[in-house]
Amino acid sequence: MSGEGHAGERQFSRRDFLKLATTGVAGVGLMGTAGCGGEGSSSQSNGKVKLQWWDYWSIPSQVKGQKALLKRYMKTHPAVTAIDTQYVPFANMDQKLLQGAIAGKVPDIAQIDDASQQSLAATGLCADITDQIKSWGQVNEFLKAPWEICRLNGKYYGVPWTSNCLVLWYDKDALKKAGVKPPKDWGELKEAARKLTTSKRSGLALSAIHSEEGTFQWLPFLWQSGADIPNIDSPGGRAALQLWVDMFRDGSISHGALNWTQPDVAEQFIHRRTAMMINGPWEIPSVKEGAPDLNWGVALLPKGKQRASIYGGENLMITTGSKYPGTDWDLIRWIKEPENDKFFQKLTGNLPSRKSELSEDYWQKDPVRSVFAQQLLVAKPRAYGPKYAQISNVIQDAMQSAITGQNSVAVALSQAQKEITPLLPEPMRKK
Amino acid sequence: MVTQNRNPARLKGIWRGKDQGRVRRLGEYLFVAPAVVFIVLLMIYPLIYNLYLSVRDVNVGTFLSGNAPFVGLQNYEQVLGDPTFRHSLLISFVFTGASLLFQFIIGFALALFFHRPFPGNGVMRSLLLLGWLLPLVVSASVWKWLLDGDYGVVNYLLQSLGLVHGRQYWLTNPDTALGGVIGANIWLGIPFNAVLLLAGLQGISESLYEAAKVDGAGGWQRFRYITLPQMRPVSLTVLLLGFVYTFKVFDVIFIMTGGGPATATTTLPILTYNQTFQFFTFGTGAATATLLLIISLTLSVAYLLLIRREEAT
Repeated sequence: MSGEGHAGERQFSRRDFLKLATTGVAGVGLMGTAGCGGEGSSSQSNGKVKLQWWDYWSIPSQVKGQKALLKRYMKTHPAVTAIDTQYVPFANMDQKLLQGAIAGKVPDIAQIDDASQQSLAATGLCADITDQIKSWGQVNEFLKAPWEICRLNGKYYGVPWTSNCLVLWYDKDALKKAGVKPPKDWGELKEAARKLTTSKRSGLALSAIHSEEGTFQWLPFLWQSGADIPNIDSPGGRAALQLWVDMFRDGSISHGALNWTQPDVAEQFIHRRTAMMINGPWEIPSVKEGAPDLNWGVALLPKGKQRASIYGGENLMITTGSKYPGTDWDLIRWIKEPENDKFFQKLTGNLPSRKSELSEDYWQKDPVRSVFAQQLLVAKPRAYGPKYAQISNVIQDAMQSAITGQNSVAVALSQAQKEITPLLPEPMRKK
Repeated sequence: MVTQNRNPARLKGIWRGKDQGRVRRLGEYLFVAPAVVFIVLLMIYPLIYNLYLSVRDVNVGTFLSGNAPFVGLQNYEQVLGDPTFRHSLLISFVFTGASLLFQFIIGFALALFFHRPFPGNGVMRSLLLLGWLLPLVVSASVWKWLLDGDYGVVNYLLQSLGLVHGRQYWLTNPDTALGGVIGANIWLGIPFNAVLLLAGLQGISESLYEAAKVDGAGGWQRFRYITLPQMRPVSLTVLLLGFVYTFKVFDVIFIMTGGGPATATTTLPILTYNQTFQFFTFGTGAATATLLLIISLTLSVAYLLLIRREEAT
């Protein structure tokens, strides 16, 4: 990064600042800028800015990665004297942010799960950064999926930070022994899983738990069938659920999967209790460490009518209560610059979402990373409006009641459809 | 008090006549103050806030803005009309009823056992409490593993005894999941029941038994006509506390099944949690919480009335 470009950025950010103050984007945002008008501009020269930052990184490589990234920023931005990071457990982040907002104690920037973005935006917790993003003008250089979820009613409330998606992992030795090749479509998946199942090992492991993780794992199959949540009760939806039900019935998937989180699924794989699993790139370090002699590979998720996977990841959001929205945006934009982004994604083992980064050898030539990078291109986001959590809960009920035989697939999905339709945003509803 | 110390002349005056009583009363109030402040801040305020939320349409859009419209009893109507609520209410009662029944019977049996002197009694009694002292996260996770379908010890034992064939997925089978969490909760509640009931047993005067023996009463008769009636007040207390405590159990179920499979173990506290912290429908969540409270409160009042009648006779 050249010093010249840097100065340019600063000017740019100051202009943003003024724009924010004059157009008054988001009521509180305005108050924030007006309140620290002097402070804000001095923060660019010799004032002191201390940012509060909440994140939920817990894996050591990720914690270290974030620390290194923020340190790098502060080195080139002496005006920001400190970025106080606070760890909040993943499961508590939304709740903590809401509680913090009531008490008037929110950080300036928070890391949130992409699936929470739209509902948090609907609470008014996330600053509207539409203008900043438009003048930045780089959205088109990224994949579409991550930005789709940052948007609500045509406005932007967050920025995608790290990306991931689900792929099929397999134990090469187990497949070789059973004479099976990595399955390419649903038919092959079913057959391979059955052939790989022994008394000591299941063919496939996945998470069908009664939480967002269960929905996260099933949605790719729904999309592969050509159906979508708004028409979940359709031939495609029924086929996708039936596929899972069949694999549970014939023993290819253990019924324990109804209570497994995704890390639990990885444990199964590590201890060779399953020949294949569906999981994301965040499990790479634990699989490598837990089973150094396991000969494993990854493949694209088997195809239904079409290829699909699910987009997951972390977003960065500026809170409406932030004291330094201008600095916040400057920091986030800096983080998304290709050099800094690559630096962080490589340290933490996540995927970038900028197309130019994804096309580099680091993500294209490596046998594992290349599969994730390729799968990410067909990964769909969970952008179903602020009531997604409720929709997801309905899907979990339908999924589990069909797998355990409480309901037939048809009954489970027609019930789900009735509950889901009113929860969807108006334009998505189908009759 | 500080100002009084600063002015000895005034202090002298205060200690004379009428003022003396007032100061003493002030002292008494000061002793009560911490408890009052504690109750108001940590119990009354949240309670009122919860009631406030329950009559407003508080959802993601209106939570932070604070302009949630007043909707009267609409949240309650919605909750009561929802089949999910009725299902959860039923599950809650089954969970609480079955837990209490077995906790009490087993607790009572253990109390009787520990009531007689035998070598190692004290040590055993302390060990009994260990289960109660363990953090719930730990015991619930252990139970989750014990009941695991693939590697659980429970399956292993039952299979070795030839009682079950094949793998039983206790916590993911809708027919057995509720039984599984009830089983874990019974185990968790036994020490509490046993210890309180034991204290009750120790409070029964020995002379009653001696008199009965002289009159020729056998072991069963002594239990039936002395122990049981004498234990009535303690038993009522234990059962009431047990009910209030069990009816709001959240962590055990949340850790073991998360309310699943599907809705097989979704009790009212789990439902409230989902509504509030998963769906952000704070209004209906608060209404469900209030209904939960009303049920517990009704029972407490019934208990107080019972106790009063008990004391009157």
